[in-house]
Amino acid sequence: MTRRTSTAGRIGIAAAVAALLVFTLFPVYWMISSAFDPDADHRGSEVLPAGFTLDHFRQVLNEGEFTRYLANSALVGLGTVLLSGLLALFAAVAVARFRFRMRTKVLVMILVVQMVPLEALVIPLFLQMRDLELLNSLIGLTIVYLAFSLPFAVWTLRGFVAAVPSEVEEAAYLDGCGWWRMFRSVLLPLVAPGLVATSIFAFITAWNEFIFAFVFMQDDSKYTAAVGLHRFFGQYSTDWGAVMAGSTLITLPVLIFFVLVQRRLAGGLASGAIR
Amino acid sequence: MAADRPVKARPPRGGRAPRSARRAATGRALRPWLLLAPALTVLAVLLFWPLARVVLLSFQDYGLRQINTGESNYTGLDNYRDILGDSFLWKTVLPNTVFFAGACVGLTLVVGTLVALLLQRLGRVWRVICSTVIMMAWAMPAVTGTYVWIWIFDPLDGVVSGGLDGLGLIEPRETNWFTDRWSFYAIATLNVVHHGFPFVAITLYAALLTIPRELPEAAVCDGAGPWQRFWLITVPTIRPAFAVVTILSIIWDFKVFAQIYLMPGGAGANEDVLNLGVWSYIQSFSRNEYGTGSAIAVLLTLLLLAITVVYVRALSREKDEP
Amino acid sequence: MRQSFRGRASRTALRRLATGAAVLSLGLVTACGGDDGDDGASGGPTLEVWIMEGTNPDAGPYVAELQAAFTERTGATLEVQFIQWADAHDRFTTAMAGGELPDVAEIGTTWAPEFGAAGALTDLAEQIEADGLGDDLVPGLYEAAQVDGAVYGMPWYAGIRSLMYRSDIFAEHDLQPPTTWQELREVARQLRVSEPDMIPFPVSGGSEYGLYPFVWGAGGEIAEQTGDGQWRSAINAPEAVEGIEFYTSLATEDGLSVAAAETWLETDQLESFQNGDSAMVINGNWTVNTLIADDPAWADRIGVVPVPGQDGGFSPSFVGGSLLGEFGSDEPELAWELISMMTTGEHAAAWAEQSGYFPGQQSLLEEVQQEADPLVAPFAQAMLEAGASLPVTDRYGAIQGEQVVQGMLQSILSGDRSAQEAADEAAAAMDETFGG
Repeated sequence: MTRRTSTAGRIGIAAAVAALLVFTLFPVYWMISSAFDPDADHRGSEVLPAGFTLDHFRQVLNEGEFTRYLANSALVGLGTVLLSGLLALFAAVAVARFRFRMRTKVLVMILVVQMVPLEALVIPLFLQMRDLELLNSLIGLTIVYLAFSLPFAVWTLRGFVAAVPSEVEEAAYLDGCGWWRMFRSVLLPLVAPGLVATSIFAFITAWNEFIFAFVFMQDDSKYTAAVGLHRFFGQYSTDWGAVMAGSTLITLPVLIFFVLVQRRLAGGLASGAIR
Repeated sequence: MAADRPVKARPPRGGRAPRSARRAATGRALRPWLLLAPALTVLAVLLFWPLARVVLLSFQDYGLRQINTGESNYTGLDNYRDILGDSFLWKTVLPNTVFFAGACVGLTLVVGTLVALLLQRLGRVWRVICSTVIMMAWAMPAVTGTYVWIWIFDPLDGVVSGGLDGLGLIEPRETNWFTDRWSFYAIATLNVVHHGFPFVAITLYAALLTIPRELPEAAVCDGAGPWQRFWLITVPTIRPAFAVVTILSIIWDFKVFAQIYLMPGGAGANEDVLNLGVWSYIQSFSRNEYGTGSAIAVLLTLLLLAITVVYVRALSREKDEP
Repeated sequence: MRQSFRGRASRTALRRLATGAAVLSLGLVTACGGDDGDDGASGGPTLEVWIMEGTNPDAGPYVAELQAAFTERTGATLEVQFIQWADAHDRFTTAMAGGELPDVAEIGTTWAPEFGAAGALTDLAEQIEADGLGDDLVPGLYEAAQVDGAVYGMPWYAGIRSLMYRSDIFAEHDLQPPTTWQELREVARQLRVSEPDMIPFPVSGGSEYGLYPFVWGAGGEIAEQTGDGQWRSAINAPEAVEGIEFYTSLATEDGLSVAAAETWLETDQLESFQNGDSAMVINGNWTVNTLIADDPAWADRIGVVPVPGQDGGFSPSFVGGSLLGEFGSDEPELAWELISMMTTGEHAAAWAEQSGYFPGQQSLLEEVQQEADPLVAPFAQAMLEAGASLPVTDRYGAIQGEQVVQGMLQSILSGDRSAQEAADEAAAAMDETFGG
């Protein structure tokens, strides 16, 4: 393709790339550089930080118990990823491979629950979790996030399952496999990219969520990273260096995770969305 | 979109799949439900039932007293009457919600699509660089991103005020971006688009990858110009993916909460900037009127539902046309 | 109320708090090892108490001592949970919904009528009378806890806002702290000329407590109770508007503030003072401790006077603070025992001293005033002579939650509305809430 691109076209592409990089990276750069800037509060429009210091990070890690919050978030995130992958896969197989009454209704319902503003569910969900005796527990929080991430995961995985030709399955049956065996050794490997996509979505849901984590957790030792940052912001307000250091710490794990899986991700999201 | 396979599969009744299905007829009737059971149980307990409770709450005058005692206090349609009769809804909250969401959805889709097309044209190295960078924007959690944008636009020490001051364009002591409805929402839009476009870009880019290599080449041989190729090959390929990201963007952008609530003045001090989500939250938790708050939430859900239905209808009509 | 206490934490304070929390958690492990139900390992009942975090920068030792003393006196175990001011209201609400309320909790003064009306708080009037404590409680706080004869909380500690200024800068330019409103304007104008990089007097749009002294100082009221017990807003009456006009004109006409302050909360304002950006601010007495704890040099840089009256004297200022309320405990006697231990005598005095607040007992407060510390006495004087309280009704909590006053301030400061227009709108919004 590049062969045919004219000079003007190339300049246009270069400009577009530059614009994309600036728009995308600027906030990230500003966050990270402010976190290291000893005089962040008075930075103004200085493009480069006034110096280099780890004080902000030290402050955040020492005083905000951030390591613990990050560990909590990671635990909850991981739990959500595993559970939502598993349950969504089962559900996706059901709606993509079987014809049964109410099938469309189930699908529509799953789409509709995504539309509910979650803030409105705080009180009813709190009551629900109390009845289940799951308040103030990371497991309870994991289950809530599972519910939030399931609809998207089911819809995405459904596309993947549907994309696997049923001939492949039938071949497995002809080889004498049972359904379960077929599922495990034929279907599962083929939808793996879809699982990557839903995992990422589930992880982000769990990592980002704020209100429920805040309301459900009564011990501050069980706070998640987003709640920790909010609490930190409440206490320090415009101590921008420290707030940016905390923000960096929260963003970093997701960032690394994303960059590592991004190539699988692209394939995953698309096949889910297309079919 | 995910809906077309079953549509295609339905007409040939005696086809291959049903025949194999009949082989283990009894077990199979139950199997889909067994597979669905765990997911549906979780959704029923944690989303449907709470949602039903929200609807019940919306018909009540539910305050702290009711919260404390657990009594119910039904008042029929009073909450809805109050809200729908409030000019504040029609003049401020609804326009804010709709225009803001519209702008966010539109910009997210435009930027996302352009970036996807750009990625397709880039060489390998730059493509990896760009997609990595896009991931960075996506990785920034909403709460974090909001604080970063607030800091960037901080009226006193932020980079935008500082930069414009350096150019002599504004007097930083006299400019506050967060008090004006337009600049407030401009910042919120930047924030939402920045966080939202990577999902669109990556999804659409992946969809573009599915175009068989031979197709554009064949089109070139047939003498199709770049514009024609775009409309005849690219657009139809990404349309299903585009439909999905549009629906999801609509759902997400109408519900934006943290990005507004955490901004200066966004938690209620500046009435001009409330949207439906934040308004509902403030009615519930700041004013202790959980009934009113729930009614607003129900209205927001209905609004989203209506938009989605209209959109899906339009899509399927398009599909039916040859 | 929610924003009123957020400005206290500082880096140092937090560091100390973290140590305190570590000590505390160790204490809890030993105190209630193996405790799952209502009965502690020691066999006695367990009482749960919620305390706001950050009030006392070094709460660990205090809590350990209190727990020991309480167990010694009653045989019961005391479980302490720290919660955040900023989010405490939502937490109480959800706990109420879930039946997860503690036995005793610290509550903001404006929440007493709110939670009391909801039926969540126990009326303590009898116990207070039986122990003969009623006459010795700081009036502003005690009034805030009383609704229709019921007392929904016992005053624990109190604070008041006054005018804090940079004494070093005042001395450098030979300025005197203001004693009237006109002087306040004059001093700030001179500061603008002599210290062009500083903000002479930030007018924060996100903090209602900076405004109240001017409303009251001009003779106005926020709301008045009519004969039938119904509240009506008076924020758009001529006197109140005069106060609002004066306060906001410092920003809009004299340019003594900055546009950024239109969305500042009280914490932001304190931060700007702490960073050396602002020359005068209205802030609470507890922040003095925070500043000095952060950097001892502040002791020589900071001066305090009560918010001046319009033509001399003092403008009344809001007495903020905390009550200890009992949330329908299963052990009412124990709960009251704990409340009276914490709010009177040595434990109350120790808490006040450590936190930089004033005790809620009048006799203890007078002792503080007699010590004549230049950074403490002006606040104590303001509290004894010019303490005021907000409308005592559960509806005012909703009005604060809706941020009506902040909204009014912001619309005036940003130039969208005149003071009268904004006050009319605010009054209408308040009346709607009062009436409903």
